[in-house]
Amino acid sequence: MSAATGLAGLRRYTPFAVGSLQTMLRYRSTFFVNALTATTAVSLQVFLWRAVYNGDSGSGPGGFDRAGITTYVLLAQVLGLLHANRVDEEVSGEIQRGDIAVSLIRPVSYPLTRFCAGVPVSLVNAGLVGGPVVLLYAGLLPLQRPGAGDALLFTASSLLAMVIAFEVNLLVGLAGFATTNIWGIRIVKDCLVALLAGQVVPISLMPGPLAATARLLPFAGLVDSPLRLLLGEYQGPAEAAEILAGQAAWTAGMSLLTALAWRRAVRRVEVLGG
Amino acid sequence: MSARGAAATAARYTRLTWYLSGVSLHRLTEYRMDFLIGAGGFLARVGCQLLVVAMVFQQVSVIGGWDYRQVLFLLGFSLLPRGLDRLFTDQMWILARRLVQSGDFYRYLIRPVNPLFTLLSERFLYPDAFGELATGIGITWYAADGLRLRLTPLQLVLAPLLVLCGAVILASIKTLFASLSFWTTNSFPALYAAGQLGDFAGYPLDLYQPSLRWLLTWVLPYAFTAYVPASYLVFGRTGLLPWLPVVTAALAALALTTWHRGVDRYEMTGS
Repeated sequence: MSAATGLAGLRRYTPFAVGSLQTMLRYRSTFFVNALTATTAVSLQVFLWRAVYNGDSGSGPGGFDRAGITTYVLLAQVLGLLHANRVDEEVSGEIQRGDIAVSLIRPVSYPLTRFCAGVPVSLVNAGLVGGPVVLLYAGLLPLQRPGAGDALLFTASSLLAMVIAFEVNLLVGLAGFATTNIWGIRIVKDCLVALLAGQVVPISLMPGPLAATARLLPFAGLVDSPLRLLLGEYQGPAEAAEILAGQAAWTAGMSLLTALAWRRAVRRVEVLGG
Repeated sequence: MSARGAAATAARYTRLTWYLSGVSLHRLTEYRMDFLIGAGGFLARVGCQLLVVAMVFQQVSVIGGWDYRQVLFLLGFSLLPRGLDRLFTDQMWILARRLVQSGDFYRYLIRPVNPLFTLLSERFLYPDAFGELATGIGITWYAADGLRLRLTPLQLVLAPLLVLCGAVILASIKTLFASLSFWTTNSFPALYAAGQLGDFAGYPLDLYQPSLRWLLTWVLPYAFTAYVPASYLVFGRTGLLPWLPVVTAALAALALTTWHRGVDRYEMTGS
């Protein structure tokens, strides 16, 4: 495939991105709800952890000081916004309603259309909601200011995290081919992923075996990896590269897994005509 | 209405609740996997919450004046009114999200039963609530045992009433925000946001800023669903306790008024 046809192929997906953004901007109250939810979640966590680090003026448990843990907790929630792409809900909904049949006859790749429809929404959401939330807390509480290099590493790592989050949610959505109570599965996924990603408790504060397990799984790439890079919790460029490489490997591995799952799922799909 | 008429009505609704709950239980046995996934989902969620609390208390022994067992008790207790409320009012989510928008709400107006009751009866005994109640009872029991909690006879009598009041407060908040859909056609975002604030209820309010504490006590009174009763049962604090029945009654009245106003202005879509 030449570069020109490749580009033309990609252009086929722009309408999906534009369409999902338009839908999002039409329901502006969602922004308000997301902002309120994020602010709530942040203050819940921030107050809890600041109480834990109450007496620590220097370095406390897990190598965090008070400003460090506040920054961690705040940005973990913003990353959570970046990962909230509702792909699981939409895909399982399409499967349940049978709408997936229409998607199957389109001459485009379904996982790719989902990616193009989901990622811009995540980015806009994280920017429009996460930005003000960070500014609000930056005005209220002392935060740890990262170096320019670390901020750059964080950006790269967050983008990889966003792709991993998409893949996780697509896999959960495809579970809709196997069960109808996707609601229950999503509750389990939401809390397990948040826990293993280090979104509620930093992985470096977890007891040894749990921390080791969490680091082995792809979910650590969602929150733990970007924030370790941002807060400089690594030794030298070699370890930073290792963190990024780990995320990249999981991104590739998971996309392979989703592609396989999709192919197997399509084979067993059954839509009743109406 | 005469006293006898009121008693007859109450008896009729009790009988209906009993009967419709039975119907719902049949649904549970019919869709067993759904029940297991729903109840299991809550187990997993509470399990994660417990892990977080355990990991927090690995770092410190006391937080906001509460130790590990006391926080566990608070967390477990907070699930009891939530579970009880969810057993009966889950349909409010559907009202907020779609019933007014789609026009389907008229179905509840043409039956010879109170529309609020008909609406709620559609999802009596929703399976997820059983998981919440069971884990809540388990955690509360475990924490109370660890605390060697000896309740006074008065506390023993009051404890179920505290859970009941908490459930009424939660149901009222839900009804209030779901009823807004009669004006806005879809009040799901508002209901969801209000529910999110309820997550604060499972933690000691002493942790939070005074303004936030005030909000959760007097505006969206989630404090009365867990923090106030648990403080009374664990520490014997009675400062806010007398306000509990007042807040419950006022909020229920406000919710019912909003509901009635909303139903009155509801117009069918005509389709």
